Amino acid sequence: MKIELKNISKSFGNIIALEDISLELNSSEVLGLLGDNGAGKSTLIKILSGIHQPDTGSIKKDGEEVSIENPKKSQLLGVATVYQDLSLVELRNVSQNIFLGIEPRVAKFFIDRKKMDENATQLLNKLKINIPNIRSRVEYLSGGQRQTVAISRAIARGGSTILLDEPTAALGVEQTAQVHSLLKELKQDDKAVVVISHDIKEVLNIVDRVVVLRQGKLVGEGYSKDLSQGEIVDWITGVER
Amino acid sequence: MEKLKERFKALDSWTILGLFATLVVACIFFSTQSEYFFTGRNFLNISRAISIRGILAVAVTILLISGSLDLSLAAVAAAAAMATASLMNNGYDPKIAFLGGIFAGAILGAINAIIVVKFRIPPIIGTLGTLLTFRGLGYVFSGGDSIVIGAQTWAYLGRGTTFFDLPVSFLVFLAILSVFWVLLNYSAVGSYIYSIGSDPDPCRYVGISVDKIRFTLFIFSAVIAAFAGLILLSQGGTAQPRALQGAELDIIAAVLLGGVALKGGKGSLVGTFLGMCIIGVVNNGSILMNIPAYWQMVFRGVILIIAVTLDSFRKGGGYR
Repeated sequence: MKIELKNISKSFGNIIALEDISLELNSSEVLGLLGDNGAGKSTLIKILSGIHQPDTGSIKKDGEEVSIENPKKSQLLGVATVYQDLSLVELRNVSQNIFLGIEPRVAKFFIDRKKMDENATQLLNKLKINIPNIRSRVEYLSGGQRQTVAISRAIARGGSTILLDEPTAALGVEQTAQVHSLLKELKQDDKAVVVISHDIKEVLNIVDRVVVLRQGKLVGEGYSKDLSQGEIVDWITGVER
Repeated sequence: MEKLKERFKALDSWTILGLFATLVVACIFFSTQSEYFFTGRNFLNISRAISIRGILAVAVTILLISGSLDLSLAAVAAAAAMATASLMNNGYDPKIAFLGGIFAGAILGAINAIIVVKFRIPPIIGTLGTLLTFRGLGYVFSGGDSIVIGAQTWAYLGRGTTFFDLPVSFLVFLAILSVFWVLLNYSAVGSYIYSIGSDPDPCRYVGISVDKIRFTLFIFSAVIAAFAGLILLSQGGTAQPRALQGAELDIIAAVLLGGVALKGGKGSLVGTFLGMCIIGVVNNGSILMNIPAYWQMVFRGVILIIAVTLDSFRKGGGYR
């Protein structure tokens, strides 16, 4: 599976958020998307998620041009997103959040709660996520647990591409390690994974390839094994040493 | 106090249990105050009295859970009754007139939906505007007079009784309540109604048609309100432009008392039913105790304050 973005540009009024961006997402690869605040990382993710539409440029999946007009279309193309604010429904429980919008049904109209809970438990066990009660409301979960629920929700969609916006920004050491191990499992599972992060050191540890944006432009790209922290900082800041 | 608030926030089923206990205590209290209170006939009176407002409360509950509000529902009920009465007086078949009233309700619901969902006007402001508009048009249309249908049309619906002398209108209320209880608790749409009320953005991100569901809910609730208006029409045989005027607040008080969160995402129709029963028992008991009408208004005000305070506790305090 391969997703190609070609010459993507997006403006909000006079502000140019993305300018002529081209990049590829490949299966079995974790791509790190880096850049300072306002670099255009989240806008790019939102274009792939169907929340924003590009002004110009094209998106291809496995060589075939596609349009992502809305989040539903994005999901149909196998793209699932974990937003920075997690976008969980606080007053609903864990399994209701994981299967939000894709609940197993009885007679098309009613939710098969038993099956939904079983599937949620199976998925959490597979991902080695420990949440004592899947009927707990998300509002009562810790930051790490909420993060893993959000990732589980993305995985439950069965998509081939998982986008994660700052997945470890609000987490402690142990919880961050848990998310890193989840990312490895996703990669082993042939998914294309995109991780947005501010933490260069973390990115170099967990991703295969790095793409750096600055003020809406792609300013650097390379394999993480070939890059140093200094080089990436130079790309992010635009300062040449 | 903080601990009490915390415990209250965490317990949803406790709300239902608390409501039930309140209802029992109210019944015991009024039984000691009036010999007429604890009789089968009186409970039938209470059931009849809460039926129409109860049907409206079902509509209010669903909208509130979804994070919306429609202050104009009582006005929609009155307008639907007037539309039906006027069609009948113009020679239309009662069945056609009935459908006409329901259709009028759907149109008014669609107007609210367009204002709130399409124009993004906050529901409390948008539907306050339509409340005044629909009421005003009712007065303009009728010149302030009642429209008499002058027949025993659908008298069974408004005044009829079934087994154990149970009012048909109460059974209709229970039937509507049950259907929507099943919808809210077991259907995917019902689950989305709760999720949208809690936070619409995650729902949009996973591809749920939030606006479509909200739009449909406004129309559905207005149709339910129109149906309540037609039961009221059949009860009295006249359609009045002032019918159910001011009932909005009583109904919202009962719904909030029943545990539905003012900001959406929480609540149940069982709670609404118990909230309606408590309001019905208090109103009935006050009358039997010969408490002056003005004091009854004070009691209703206090109940509304208690309801909103409980809602505030559940959310950890509303006013900041």
